[in-house]
Amino acid sequence: MTQKVLVVDDDPDVRSFVVTVLEENSYSPLQARDGVEGLEIIESMRPDLVILDVLMPRGSGIRLYRKLKTTDSLKDIPVVLLTGIAFKSFLRSQQTLAEFQGEQVPEPDAYLEKPVEPEELAETIKKKLA
Amino acid sequence: MEIKKLLFVTKFEELCFDALKSLLTLRNADLEHVVFLNVIERDKIAMQRGSGYLKDEEIRLKETANIRFIDWAENLFEMGLEVGAHIDVGTLVPRIIKTIEEEQPDLIVIGRSHKGPLEQLYSRSDVAELIRRAAVPVLVFKHMAEDDIVPEKPFQRPLLATNWSEPSSRATELMKKLHNVIEELNIIHVTSSKDLKGSSSHDVQIVRKKERKKLDALCEEFESAGIRARPHVYIGDPIKEIQKAAREYQSSMIVLGSSEKTAMLERWTGSITKTIADRSSFPCLLVPPEGKTTE
Repeated sequence: MTQKVLVVDDDPDVRSFVVTVLEENSYSPLQARDGVEGLEIIESMRPDLVILDVLMPRGSGIRLYRKLKTTDSLKDIPVVLLTGIAFKSFLRSQQTLAEFQGEQVPEPDAYLEKPVEPEELAETIKKKLA
Repeated sequence: MEIKKLLFVTKFEELCFDALKSLLTLRNADLEHVVFLNVIERDKIAMQRGSGYLKDEEIRLKETANIRFIDWAENLFEMGLEVGAHIDVGTLVPRIIKTIEEEQPDLIVIGRSHKGPLEQLYSRSDVAELIRRAAVPVLVFKHMAEDDIVPEKPFQRPLLATNWSEPSSRATELMKKLHNVIEELNIIHVTSSKDLKGSSSHDVQIVRKKERKKLDALCEEFESAGIRARPHVYIGDPIKEIQKAAREYQSSMIVLGSSEKTAMLERWTGSITKTIADRSSFPCLLVPPEGKTTE
């Protein structure tokens, strides 16, 4: 059975790029425009992997990431962050939020800074779904 | 009424990161989420004779805004804030209204209107139109007039102008929630010269005493909420007197209730707030009435 990969990004060009990479590598792509829509699809479709942007309208990728990693039934879904936000800033945000909310979440399975080459993206997905 | 989510509307001219940074003291109250909105006006990319629709220019403007927002967002994420961004092409106020519907913010921050006096004669200023249509408090952010410096802490020393209306009460309630942010609050009520019945100084003092008593009670409410507050009764034209008081007490912003009522009431509430928001050199926070819906 083909593995389902969800891409959550508000930029239609990025979604289109990721979907093309997924299709070329025989994955079944799912799409969401923001964190709120992303969570709905994750809960209803149970993708095998999530590719997540950070800076988006409505719920950001950070909120969705923390939601995934703190929900027992969802925390095992691998998440690849694909974003323009620097990894260092992402890590600092997690440290600050951990202090505020008293809850540590693990680092993402992979972190890719935009723009990414199709080969690098495909390779990362392949590794995480192996 | 808490400010958990803030919508920051920027054209990268008047409102930039320094202005946003000055508002982050709201983190000491309830602020959790900041949403950026940049609206690219249609005429910047519209079809022009000889060049057609400027698709490349649209992409360039969107990417420029995106890069700016990423930079700002990194700072805010590191502070543990939730951040979102919208970059849209269209007309400013309708796009703000659409974003309000999607994001449900508790406060909108916008710069002063960029329409010239002639344009405003035929169509409302952006600020006036937004205040009329939005059911959310609007902060009209101003730079300190002469030196173009951003007020360091706009919520530090607000001046609350009350006319005892329902929107004024909502503004009062909003201020009470900011006890961790406000250092000192000055409260002013302006009695119009026309409302002074009789011409003797005794009659004038009766009016002053009555209003002062109400202000004293309000100050006590603020003291109970942990905010040092001082009452002031002024007589005269509310538009002039409110701004005069803001200068005299070195206020960091003016806070007003705003309402869209009949033409008669509008004269006393709506037009006063909108005129101050448009003309004053102080940042102005305008609080709409309860139950108003965004149009």
